[in-house]
Amino acid sequence: MQTVTLIPVMQSKISIEAETITPNNFAGKTREEIENITIWEGNHKTRLFEFFKIALEGKDSPENTKIIINGSIPRVKRVGEGMTDGMILINGDVDMHVGAKMQGGVITVKGNADSWAGREMKGGEIIIGGDAGYYLGAGYRGESCGMRGGKIIVFGDVKDYAGEHICGGEILIKGSAGLMPGISNNGGIITIEGNTEIPGAEMKKGTIKINGVVETLVPSYKQEDDEEIDGIVYNKYTGDVVAGGKGSLYIKK
Amino acid sequence: MSELLIKNGRVFDPINSINGDIMDIAIKNGKIVDDISLSPDTKVIDASSMIVMPGGVDAHSHIAGSKVNSGRIMCPNDSRSGIEKRTKITRPCSGYTVPNTFAMGYRYAKLGYTTVFEAAIPILHARHTHEEFGDIPIIDKGGLVLFGSNWQVMEAVRENDIEKLAAYIAWGLSASRGYGVKIVNPGGGEAWGFGKNVSGLHDTVPNFDVTPAEIITGLAKANEMLHLPHSIHLHCNLLGKPGNYKTTIETMKLLENIKPSMDRQVVHITHMTFNAWGGTNWGDFESKADAVADYLNQHDHVTVDMGQLIFGNATTMTADGPMQYANARLLATKWTNGDVELEDASGVVPLSYIRKMYIHDIMWAVGLEVALLTKNPWQVLLTTDHPNGGPFVNYPEVIALLMSARKREEEMLKLSNKMRDRTTLSGIERELDWYDIAIKTRASHAKILGLTDHGKGHLGAYADADVTIYHINPDQVDAGREHATVKKAFEKPAYTIKDGEFVVRNGEITATPEGRTFWVNASVPEEDNTRLMKDLRLKFRKYYSINLANYMVQDNYVKHPVVIKAGGS
Ligand SMILES: [Zn+2]
Repeated sequence: MQTVTLIPVMQSKISIEAETITPNNFAGKTREEIENITIWEGNHKTRLFEFFKIALEGKDSPENTKIIINGSIPRVKRVGEGMTDGMILINGDVDMHVGAKMQGGVITVKGNADSWAGREMKGGEIIIGGDAGYYLGAGYRGESCGMRGGKIIVFGDVKDYAGEHICGGEILIKGSAGLMPGISNNGGIITIEGNTEIPGAEMKKGTIKINGVVETLVPSYKQEDDEEIDGIVYNKYTGDVVAGGKGSLYIKK
Repeated sequence: MSELLIKNGRVFDPINSINGDIMDIAIKNGKIVDDISLSPDTKVIDASSMIVMPGGVDAHSHIAGSKVNSGRIMCPNDSRSGIEKRTKITRPCSGYTVPNTFAMGYRYAKLGYTTVFEAAIPILHARHTHEEFGDIPIIDKGGLVLFGSNWQVMEAVRENDIEKLAAYIAWGLSASRGYGVKIVNPGGGEAWGFGKNVSGLHDTVPNFDVTPAEIITGLAKANEMLHLPHSIHLHCNLLGKPGNYKTTIETMKLLENIKPSMDRQVVHITHMTFNAWGGTNWGDFESKADAVADYLNQHDHVTVDMGQLIFGNATTMTADGPMQYANARLLATKWTNGDVELEDASGVVPLSYIRKMYIHDIMWAVGLEVALLTKNPWQVLLTTDHPNGGPFVNYPEVIALLMSARKREEEMLKLSNKMRDRTTLSGIERELDWYDIAIKTRASHAKILGLTDHGKGHLGAYADADVTIYHINPDQVDAGREHATVKKAFEKPAYTIKDGEFVVRNGEITATPEGRTFWVNASVPEEDNTRLMKDLRLKFRKYYSINLANYMVQDNYVKHPVVIKAGGS
C-alpha cells in the first residue's frame, strides 16, 4: 500500500489545473518526485509543493495507492482526471471536473464538488458527501456522450443538467436536482430521491426515477400503466417522443 | 534579390510533362526561372533522392465563411482535438474537422499545399469569407460563388436572357470578390424556402417556372460567354440519395453540346463520394461508381473530384439545405439551417463515418472507385470535400490508398462484406504512380481552375515559386508495398516553399507570409448591365435586408488581391 497525504498550505484565488493528481501518476514515486509534479496556476506552471505539504508512506502500484487530501481545495480542478485505479479521498470541498474521464478506482469527496464532477467518466465510482454543481456526469460542451459507465452518488443536492447526454453508468442523487436532469439521456440510469424540474427532455433511452416532487414535466412523454418498484408505486412515462426516444421516466405517485 | 536552387530532385511536373526527371529548379524573386547564375547569396538545397513537385492546389475545400463558422459554433467539442501551442511564429491551433483559421493555413502548408479554393460562398456572406481568408496564413486563396438557387439567376433563365445572366454573374463575382460559378442542388435551395426540394433535373422550382436542367445549362452558357477561367462547378441534384448516379450522368449529358470558351472542361462535378450511388433505398444501397467512370471514360467535357470519405468525425456543410435536413433527421443529430435571402440555403450537420456500417463502407469505396476506374488521371481530383468527407489532413491516407492495392485490401478487411459485394473496389488492381498523384493533387486542380497561366500547379518559367519537396526516393520505395512510408512522406514534406520562401521545413512552420486572393473581374456590354441593374435595384428595395450600396465587398477586405480579367471576347 502507498498512501500520499496532501495538506493544502496555500489557497489560490485563480484556478489550479491539477489533472496530475491521480493514483496512476503518484504510484511508485518518491516524496520528492511527487512534490515536483507539475500543476498549473492559471497560465503559470508550478509544482505541487507550492500548494501542498506532502507526506508519503509506502510505495506501490496504482491500484494500491491512496491519495488523501486533508482540507478543502475549492480552486483545484480536475483532481483524479482519467484515473484507472486506486483511491482519492478529499476531506473537504473540491473545484470543477473532479474525476473527469475517470475509468476506475474510487474518489470520495467529503464536502461539496463544483460543476462537471465525473464529466465523461467511463468507470469507477465517485461519492460526494455534500452537494454537487452543474452538469454532474455530463458531456463537455458539444459532446454527444457524457458519462458512459461507473457510478456517481451525491448525498446532497445537485444543480441543473445532471447527467446531460449520459450514455451509460448510474447517477444516484440523495437530495434534490435542479433543472433538466438527464437531458438527452442516451442510456444511463439516474435516480433522484428529492425534487426536480423538467426531467428527461430529449431522452432517447435509459431510465430516470424520481421519488420527490416534479415541478414541470415536458409534454412529450407518453403515460403508461403504473409500476411498483421496491414497494413504491410510480407513474411511468416513456419518451421523449420529440426525440423518438424510448426512455423510461418514473415519478413517485 | 533572393535566389534559390533546388538541385538534383526527382521532378514531377505534369503540366510541363516532366515525369520524374532529375533536374534543378531555379527560383528568383518568388518566381521559377529557367536558370540562375550562382552567386554567393544563392541558397542551394540538395534534393537528390527526394521528390520535387509544384506546391499543392486544392480546388474544392471549405475553409472559410459562415458555414465553417456555424460548424465551429455547433461543435465546440471539435476544438478539444488538434490542439497545438503557439510558437515564436505560429499562433495557437485547435480543431480537427473545423479547425481555427490559423490552423487551416498551417496545416495545408505542412501538407505541401500552397493554394486552396473555398468552394461555396453566398454573395451575401462573402465579406465574412474574406475576413477569414485574411486570417488564414501562408496559402493563396480564392472562392467559388453560389448561383444555383438565386432569384436573379432563375428569372434570367426563365426569360432565356443569357446576356443578362452573364451580366449578373459578372456583377456577383465582383460583389463577392469571387472566382467562379458554384451551383448547389440547383433550384433546391429555393424550394427549401417552402419546405420542399426539387425531385430531379426536370422538376419545376416553386414560383419560378424553371427546372434545374434549365438553370444548369443557362449558367454553363453564361459562364462560357464570360470566358471565365473556371467552368461551372456543380453539386448535383439528389445528392445524398440512393440511385442518384442516374441524375449525375443525366446532368453530364445535358452539357455535352456546350462549347468551352477555353481549353478546359465545361463542368466540374464535385464530391463523387456522394453522387455515384445506386439502389433505391438504404437497404439496397450500392455503388454505381463504375457507371459514372464509364461515362467519364467516353467524355472529356466533365471533370470530377473524389470527396473521399475518411472514417471518423466529419462536419458536413453545404448550401444543400433540404439534403442536410434529411441527413439530420436520419441520424437524429444536431443541425443548423440557414437561409440566404434571395440567394440560397444552407445546412451544417456534424457526423461520424463508422467502419462496418455498410453505407459508410460503400461510400468510402465510391470515391476510390471513381478515381481508379476513370482512365484519365486529369479527370478526377483528389479531395475529401473537406470537411464533408473528412478533414483535408487525411490527403496522405488517400494518396496511399490510390497508390497501393495492398493497402486497399488491408483496409477492406476491416469493413463489411456488403461493401465487397456492392462495389467493384476489391477487383481493382490499378495503382497510381507519382506522376498521377502530382496530377491529382496539384496539376489538374490548377488546370481545372484555369490557374496554370497565373502561375499555379506547375514549375515552368515564370510560375509562382510554390514548390514542395518530399522526403522519399521513388527509386527505392515500392509504393504498392511500402504504403506506410508513402503516407508518412506526404504527411511531412521536407520543405514547402511559397513564393520562393521556406514556409515549412521537416514538418515545422518556418515562416508565415500572407497569401493572395484570386478573383475574377469580368466585363459585360453596358446595355446588359443596365438591364440587370434595373432588376437588382428593385430586388434590393423590395426584398433584401441590406442596401445595394452596402452589399459589395469593399477592397480593403481583400488582402493581396490578384484580379483576373474575363469577359466577352
Ligand atoms: Zn464541397
